[in-house]
Amino acid sequence: MTSEWLTPSTRSELIENLVSGVDRYNPSNVSILEDYLYHQIRSEEYDCLANLAILKLYQFNPELYNPDVVINILIKALTASPLPDFNLCISLLDERPLNAQLDEPDPLPTVLPILKGLHSLLFRCRFPAFWEIYQSAELENLRDNYTVEVAGFEDAVRAVAIRAVRATFTRISSERLGSYLNLSSSDLIAYIQKLGWPVDSSTSVVTIPPNPDNQIEATVVQESVKLPQLTKIIAHSVAKA
Amino acid sequence: MAQQRLALWNAEEDLEEDVDMTIALDGYGQNVQYEDSHIHQPQIDESTLLAMQQHMAQQAAFQQIPDVVKSFIVHFHQAVLDNNLAEITVAYESGWNKYTEKFYSKTEWPEAELIAPLVNDDPIFLILYRELYYRHVYSRLQPNIDDRFHSYENSCELFNYLLNSDGPVELELPEQWLWDIIDEFIYQYQVFCTWRSKVTTKTPDELLMLAEGGPVWSSYSVLNVLYSLMQKSRVNEYIIAQREGKSAEEIAEIVGEYGQRPLYRMLGYFSIIGLLRVHVHLGDFTLGLKVMENVELNQKTPFTRVTACHVATYYYVGFCYIMLRRYPDAIRTFVTILNFIMRMRQYHTRSYQYDQINKTADRMYALFAMCHALSPSRLDDNIANIAKERYGEQYAKMARGGSDALAAFEELFIYACPKFITANPPPYEDPVAINALISSSADAESPTQSSPQADSTHRHLDLFLADVAAQLQVPTLRSFLKLYTSLGAKKLANFLDADEEELVQEMMVLKQASRSISRVTGSEGTSLLDGQMITTSDLNFVIDENMVHIAESTIGRRYAGWFIKNTERTQKILDDLKNMPLPVPPKTSGGTASGVNSQQQAEAVAGQNRPARSGQKVVWGGVKTA
Repeated sequence: MTSEWLTPSTRSELIENLVSGVDRYNPSNVSILEDYLYHQIRSEEYDCLANLAILKLYQFNPELYNPDVVINILIKALTASPLPDFNLCISLLDERPLNAQLDEPDPLPTVLPILKGLHSLLFRCRFPAFWEIYQSAELENLRDNYTVEVAGFEDAVRAVAIRAVRATFTRISSERLGSYLNLSSSDLIAYIQKLGWPVDSSTSVVTIPPNPDNQIEATVVQESVKLPQLTKIIAHSVAKA
Repeated sequence: MAQQRLALWNAEEDLEEDVDMTIALDGYGQNVQYEDSHIHQPQIDESTLLAMQQHMAQQAAFQQIPDVVKSFIVHFHQAVLDNNLAEITVAYESGWNKYTEKFYSKTEWPEAELIAPLVNDDPIFLILYRELYYRHVYSRLQPNIDDRFHSYENSCELFNYLLNSDGPVELELPEQWLWDIIDEFIYQYQVFCTWRSKVTTKTPDELLMLAEGGPVWSSYSVLNVLYSLMQKSRVNEYIIAQREGKSAEEIAEIVGEYGQRPLYRMLGYFSIIGLLRVHVHLGDFTLGLKVMENVELNQKTPFTRVTACHVATYYYVGFCYIMLRRYPDAIRTFVTILNFIMRMRQYHTRSYQYDQINKTADRMYALFAMCHALSPSRLDDNIANIAKERYGEQYAKMARGGSDALAAFEELFIYACPKFITANPPPYEDPVAINALISSSADAESPTQSSPQADSTHRHLDLFLADVAAQLQVPTLRSFLKLYTSLGAKKLANFLDADEEELVQEMMVLKQASRSISRVTGSEGTSLLDGQMITTSDLNFVIDENMVHIAESTIGRRYAGWFIKNTERTQKILDDLKNMPLPVPPKTSGGTASGVNSQQQAEAVAGQNRPARSGQKVVWGGVKTA
């Protein structure tokens, strides 16, 4: 479950050495990791630990700080919900002095609260609200300057919704599912088909295939006593005997 | 060089005090000084005079050192020279603390330069002595900026000696001390960062020194030391080889000349734990667990031999799990160590670190209470009951959810979280920027609020509270669902006075909150970050279009723990009874007879105590039973 998160199959050996070795602290390696981030963005890959390594370098070397990179990392982490990736990134963003030597004003202070808001909506499974706010006029800047560059961003958000739906529902109306995915009519049908979920043609209710999370069963768990629990007592009796 | 210059310059200030003291305390010193100033004044230039005065002041100060302390230092030095671990341990754990209480509870120990003649100017012993000297300053007194800089220099000298001598050094030190060296190094780094970040309280001199401080206590230099110790000792390779069951010869080959020595191997181990701690201070929870990759968290690994290290490890690992939203793992971590602390309590009271362990344990009970409220489990009722006892009020609020809960979570988080630090100093080297920062901080209404330190704690608090806030409805929903086997979403929404669609989305949150990644049992040899998705709640449900179906798995009552505990208790009572002296016969009228009686009784008591004591293993740092 976590192995793909710890070491994504798409991670190259070069990056693996950076992430797992001491070379991760070498500031001259930051461009390699930044290039890798942009590669992730173009090709719908994701490597949380490699991106955290960038933020670590920024934490120790404020002069390396590049707000666009930070924003892109946060956008990638956003769609890992409900995993804590987004929070882990924020944890590494130390307060920086306002007089950071940048040519342009730092976009992060304005973008950060917006991203936090979006993260909160995803984490709280408020998918319709997420789409509404994401598509609002106020977020035009974020869409035009950042998320448009992130290949498959909207599909990644849909994947978050699909994960929640798959665990919670056995059947769901198309209408409700569409509101979570921000899709309707033919787009929605195509998307559901791609998932391979059957749709009832008359009621247009979608059936979610059984999986470990949407199967419920009342059980009684019985205690099993393991030998190590009893070693002390047995050892004591033997010693005294 | 730099240090010598500093010391001389320092002497000027010290001089006035020292001379006063000589006058007040030592008539002989006063006399000499009187003559000096009259007879030799014309020929003596100022620096010679200063040097002489300093020399005399030192002599006077040397005389002030109590004789027992002098002989203690001589003895201590000899023990270190002989690499006599038992003697070093006694001097370190008991002697040092004894004389601290007796003579130096409110003042510094004598400066290293002062006691140097006692130890033939042995540079290594003086470094070790300074290590203790500064640790005492940090724990009992208020370190000034010179102490902070010098303690850093001394640590660097120590690590330089260990890492950059020709080959491994011959020195041997008790494990407890080795842990304390690493632990203290990180502690001083952490307090330095905290102190450094408060710009408004600095004097002009301090500002100047900080501007020129360079790499003093920089994050890079601290990490460098820890990684170097880890790599030099090849401790990770050692752990892996051990796990693979390699032979002693193979292991010796793998770990090399450094790793074969207990001193380096233990320093390597402790550096891993140190790195975990540094990464947590810096807010890097994944990296913290990643450096622990090869360390197995069980009661058998070598670091558990030093209890302070054992406890710290579990505290930081548990906290990492909380920030990774892996509450079941955090709970398991805390339960393990809290049980250990409880079992070992009878030995703890003898340790000089008793208070520290207790404080950490108390914070872990608070963290446990938080996790338990977020992810109720029945892993250990005993620990859960103690946590509820200590934090009953907060626990009740947290477990109930709703609006009161956040305040309770905040209170416990602030109390129990580690100190967070910012990796970089304020811009001391840039006078314009630092002045701007000072004046803006001074203007702010509450300066403590605006300091970066408080900010980084609050940043982590906010992240945690946001996670918690998302779950606030969960306890309420669970309590309703428990009453039904199936229930329409609309009806449930009506109960809660909520919109149906909102409620359905909230149900997805409930589902999410009932799942967690967790390390599964039998995952020995895998990283602490590994795990699988597990169900954390007994209450399971699923939504079929608009109908909620509920199933509850009940856990049969657990008897084993209760029986085991009580069997052990009974065994102990029986043992105690058997070891008790025979009852004293009723008092006879003769006075002499009763005297003999009581004497016999005393002997009997002493006699039965002795075997019982020596049979016990002293877990705490391995002090010899005194």
